Amino acid sequence: MFEICEATGGYRKTVIVRDVSLTVAEGEIVALLGRNGVGKTTLLKYAMGLTANFGGRVILGGASLAADRAKRAKAGLGYVPQGRFVFPRLTVVENIASAAVACGHNHRDAVKRILSEFPALQEKAHALAGTLSGGQQQLVALGRALATQPKLLILDEPTEGVQPSIIDELAGTLLRLNRQEGLSILVAEQDLDFCLSISQRAYIMDRGTVVKEATKDVLLADNHLLQNLLAV
Amino acid sequence: MTLDYIAIAILSSLSTASILLIATLGLAIVFGLMGVINLAHGEMIMFGAYAALLSTRLGVPFPLAVLLATGATALFGAVVEILIIRRLYGRMLDTMLATWGLSLALYQSAVLAFGSVTPGIGMPQMTVRIGQYGVSAYMVFLIFVAVSCVAGLFWLLTRTGYGIMARAAIADAETASAIGIESSRMNTVTFALGAGLAGFAGAILLPVFPATPSMGFALAIKAFLAVVVAGPLPLSGTVTAIGTLGTAGGITSSIWSTAAGDLFFFGTTILILRLWPNGISSLWRYKL
Repeated sequence: MFEICEATGGYRKTVIVRDVSLTVAEGEIVALLGRNGVGKTTLLKYAMGLTANFGGRVILGGASLAADRAKRAKAGLGYVPQGRFVFPRLTVVENIASAAVACGHNHRDAVKRILSEFPALQEKAHALAGTLSGGQQQLVALGRALATQPKLLILDEPTEGVQPSIIDELAGTLLRLNRQEGLSILVAEQDLDFCLSISQRAYIMDRGTVVKEATKDVLLADNHLLQNLLAV
Repeated sequence: MTLDYIAIAILSSLSTASILLIATLGLAIVFGLMGVINLAHGEMIMFGAYAALLSTRLGVPFPLAVLLATGATALFGAVVEILIIRRLYGRMLDTMLATWGLSLALYQSAVLAFGSVTPGIGMPQMTVRIGQYGVSAYMVFLIFVAVSCVAGLFWLLTRTGYGIMARAAIADAETASAIGIESSRMNTVTFALGAGLAGFAGAILLPVFPATPSMGFALAIKAFLAVVVAGPLPLSGTVTAIGTLGTAGGITSSIWSTAAGDLFFFGTTILILRLWPNGISSLWRYKL
C-alpha cells in the first residue's frame, strides 16, 4: 500500500539516510525503531517531501508521489511531526479545520469527528493550541493529521514529553482507528513498550539505514538485538 | 477650554487615528501573515488613489470607484507577488530592497503620467457640530470605516478557510505544507489582500488626501512605525499601537500644533520600542 524505495535524503548537501526501503501493507501498523540520531525523523520527513531528495521514490496506493509537499498530504499521507508543532495562535478547532480545508474536506464535519474521537479536547476546543499541555497538543497534532483523511498516518515520536495516561489513550486511539477504519500507520518511536503494544512489525535503523526487519514476536524474543540496536 | 472643545478634539483625534489605521492595515496584514515588509505600500495607496480619481473623472460614482480601485490594486498586488515577492521568500532584506525599487518605479511612473500635482475631488460639505465647534462629517465617517475594516478582517481571518490556512502557514510553513496547505497560494492571496487594502485606503481617503505621486510617502512612514510598534499580531497589535500613538498624537496636534503632534508620535514610538523591542504584541496570546 505504502512504499519507500531506495530513499537517499538529507539536508542541503548532507546525506542522512541512504538507500532505505520499507513497506507498509494495507491496514498494518509498522514501527520504525532505532536510537537517537540514526535518521528516523529524516526518513519520515523524506516520505513527506520535507527533505532534499537525492534519490529514491515514495509510492502510495501504487502511484509514485510528486515532490510537492502539499500534494503528498492531499494524496493521503497524514503527518504528525516530532515535537507536535501545533499552530500555537490557532485554536484547537482552527488547527483541525486548517487541515480539513487544505485537503478539500468539510471542516465542520472534520471538527465534529475529531472532537468526538478525542473527548479530552472538547473543553479546550476554543483555547489557543499554544496554551495546551504537551499531551493535549499531541492529540491536536494527531487530530489535525486525521482531519486530512489520510490513507497512511505517519507519526514521529508521539510519546515524547507526553504523560503516561495520555500515552495509553494515544495507543488505544491508534489501535481503534487501525481496527475499525483500517488506517495504516507508520510510527517512529524510542519508547519500545508503546511500539510493541500497537505494531505488528518493525524496521530497525542504524546509521542512516535500515539494518533489520522483524516481526513483533521476533523482537520480543531477541534480547540481544534489542540491547545492541536500541539501547540508548 | 470648554467641554465642547475637548469633545471635538477627541473626535477629530479619533478620526486622525482612523485614517492612519485605514492606511496601515494592508501593511500590517502582509507583515503579520507573510513576514514581508512591503516598502511599496505607500505607492500602492497612491495607486488606489489614482485609480479612484480616474474612475470618478470618467463619471463612475465615488462608492463604485472605491470598489474598482480596491480590486485593481489587489490584482496589481497579486501580479507583484507572483513576479517579485515569491522569488525572494525568506530573504527579508532582499524583499525590502525589491519593494523599495518598486516604490521608486511607481512614484516616477505617476509623476510621468499625471504630473506632480493633481486636483482633488473635494470633500463632501457636511459638518458634525458640537457647540460652536465643527468637524467634517466625512472625517467622522472614516472612524466607522476603520472599525468596519478591522471587524471585516477579523471575520475573514478567523471564519474563512483562507484566513485559517494563512495563519497556519505563517505560524509554521513546513508543518502547514505537510498537512496540505499550499503556502505559496496563501501568500499570493495575502499579498493581494494587503495591496487591496492599500488601494482601498488611497481611494476612501481621496477626499482627505488628494492623489499626488508622493502621497504614499506621507502616509507610509507612520504606517511603518505603527507596524513595528505593533509587533507580530496584525490586528490587536496594530489597533492598540495606532489607538495610543495616533490618538495621543492627534490630541497633541489639535492642542498645540501638527509638528508637536508628530514629535509626540515619534517620541512615543522610540520609547515603546525601547521597552518592547519586538513590538507590543510579541507576548500576547491572541489569535490576531
